[in-house]
Amino acid sequence: MSRILEIDDLAVDFDTRFGRVRALDGVSVGLEAGETLGLVGESGCGKSITALAVMGLVPTPPGRIGAGSIRFCGEELIKAPKSRLRNLRGAEIAMIFQEPMSSLNPVFTVEDQIVEAIMLHRPIEYDAARREAVALLERVGIPEAAQRARDYPHQLSGGMRQRVMIAMAVSCRPRVLIADEPTTALDVTVQAQIFDLLGEIQHEFGVAIILITHDMGVISEMADRVAVMYAGRIIEEAGADDVLDHPQHPYTRGLIACIPTLEDDASLREIPGVVPPLHALGRGCAFADRCAYMDARCRRERPALAPTGHHANACLAVAEGRL
Amino acid sequence: MSGSYLIKRLLWGVLLMAGVVVLNFLLIRLAPGDAALVIAGEMGGASEEMLASIRKEYGLDRPLMVQLGLYLADMARLDFGQSFYFNQPVTGLIAQRVGATILLVIVAQLLAIFIGVVLGVLAARNPGGPMSAFVSVFATIGYAVPVFWTGIMLIILFASVLPIFPVEGMQSVKLREAGIIVKSLDILHHLVLPAFTLAVIYLAQYARLSRASMLEVLGSDYIRTARAKGASEASVLFKHALRNAALPILTVAGLQFGNLISGALLVETVFNWPGMGRLAFDSILRRDHPTILGVLFFSAAMVVVANLLTDLAYRFADPRLRGRT
Ligand SMILES: Nc1ncnc2c1ncn2[C@@H]1O[C@H](COP(=O)(O)OP(=O)(O)OP(=O)(O)O)[C@@H](O)[C@H]1O
Ligand SMILES: [Mg+2]
Repeated sequence: MSRILEIDDLAVDFDTRFGRVRALDGVSVGLEAGETLGLVGESGCGKSITALAVMGLVPTPPGRIGAGSIRFCGEELIKAPKSRLRNLRGAEIAMIFQEPMSSLNPVFTVEDQIVEAIMLHRPIEYDAARREAVALLERVGIPEAAQRARDYPHQLSGGMRQRVMIAMAVSCRPRVLIADEPTTALDVTVQAQIFDLLGEIQHEFGVAIILITHDMGVISEMADRVAVMYAGRIIEEAGADDVLDHPQHPYTRGLIACIPTLEDDASLREIPGVVPPLHALGRGCAFADRCAYMDARCRRERPALAPTGHHANACLAVAEGRL
Repeated sequence: MSGSYLIKRLLWGVLLMAGVVVLNFLLIRLAPGDAALVIAGEMGGASEEMLASIRKEYGLDRPLMVQLGLYLADMARLDFGQSFYFNQPVTGLIAQRVGATILLVIVAQLLAIFIGVVLGVLAARNPGGPMSAFVSVFATIGYAVPVFWTGIMLIILFASVLPIFPVEGMQSVKLREAGIIVKSLDILHHLVLPAFTLAVIYLAQYARLSRASMLEVLGSDYIRTARAKGASEASVLFKHALRNAALPILTVAGLQFGNLISGALLVETVFNWPGMGRLAFDSILRRDHPTILGVLFFSAAMVVVANLLTDLAYRFADPRLRGRT
């Protein structure tokens, strides 16, 4: 396997009314060709910003890349010219979003939007692009694709729209697909269908997926590897089975304890406390206030992501064997 | 688009026009002043018998409701009667002038929309930037300054300081015999100042509106999707965003049409543009009721047609509205 995406010590800052806050801090994570990397964590921990940084789409202002590097197949993206990023977006690195209802442009047909994605990056005739768009719609499981292609987004259900988004995202055979909570807005049976589809697409197109979710259950179904984020940092990273079976960081343990099982509806359980706001982060570990293993050192020092074998975590309690 | 929708809208338009006709007629007749005196005045003084015979000739001696009935019957045949002042059919008078007004109004409207939207889009690209501040200031000034003031200032400027645009009329007398192309260019040349004057107020409004509308649209998810596809910034702004931001602009454009026509009345008067506004202004002073009514009818018809077209354009622009009735 080879690393196609390498994020190194990435920091993203936002100007807010509390001053400049660091929404991502020292994020380092890699993506192997063809694998699925799960990115999990509570709301606001920086999952989407990480994805947008890879796309070169961090809203600027108020945001900006504060430090770090993002390399795609060895090519640095952070300082790359805008035109180069445009050429990569959609062609090599594609993204689908949380809100299928609002992520498609309401005034263009589904077909037009896919054709646009194809023609932006490939030397292809309009008619050929249209045929390909219909074939893609068929591939993502849209019945009567040729007719539906002429529909406008409002004529399709949420699940169908997300299928359209997937068709559009893979239309140029990208090597990286970022799926940012692709099913959050959909109902449960449709969620399962969309994940099945993503799995098939990955298999068929050989695309590496970064799957963003806050659902550990989805991780266990889909991901090869997992990076757990908390307050703008990665606090644990390892193979999905490792993390699920032997979570190390107290936060990850909390997340896993909240996965519902058949006997016990643990989803009603929660990790006590709340994520501190970014502008109020102190010097110490951001999870300290909610952590049962916290001691004085956790308040003073922010632990770095320390690898233990193939299983990296950022926790002083783990490092000191206090757990 | 459904044909039944179109028919429904057309019937509405006709009904609306009938209402406008009745209302105009009653309002004019209720206004003080004896039309017979005016007509007689034009003939150079009048005795009591003469007034009576004038009233009889123009049907002014009949009861109001009978007059209304007769007027409506004439209207239905598109006969607007004789002008008291010119003593010719009103239809002919209007036909000579309606083209000039339509030209002025449409060019002003297009100018206002085009410049306004471009300014608004550029302002929205950078909401804190200088272009954005300019649009805000310009919109406030454009909104506050009356049309005749802009017109008079432009006349002063272009009549004395920078005489590159004609400030009066629609055609140069010496070019009356010229070929069609030269003549058209001459008309366009004359059109610049009146159209710009009329456009200024609305231009400012369109700029502000499209700035706000674009700002809203640029924050939406499908714009992020367009960028994620690798679309160029120009395509994001003018294709993906503007097509959506145009919807409220279109609505306002339709609503403004009526205001534009009444604005044209002032502008035509200031620049001596030979349109219906000028005719209306003169006819009001002359109490030339049939002409006033005719002008009002045509103005209302223009507004009704403009609104119908806006509605159709709106349905074309927003697929979510198609197929609804
Ligand atoms: N436009 C913005 N302006 C200011 N701060 C922002 C902006 N966008 C994101 N942030 C900050 O960045 C942090 C991370 O946001 P992000 O959207 O990446 O969270 P997330 O992990 O995707 O959460 P969710 O699960 O809710 O989608 C947030 O806490 C927020 O404070
Ligand atoms: Mg998010």
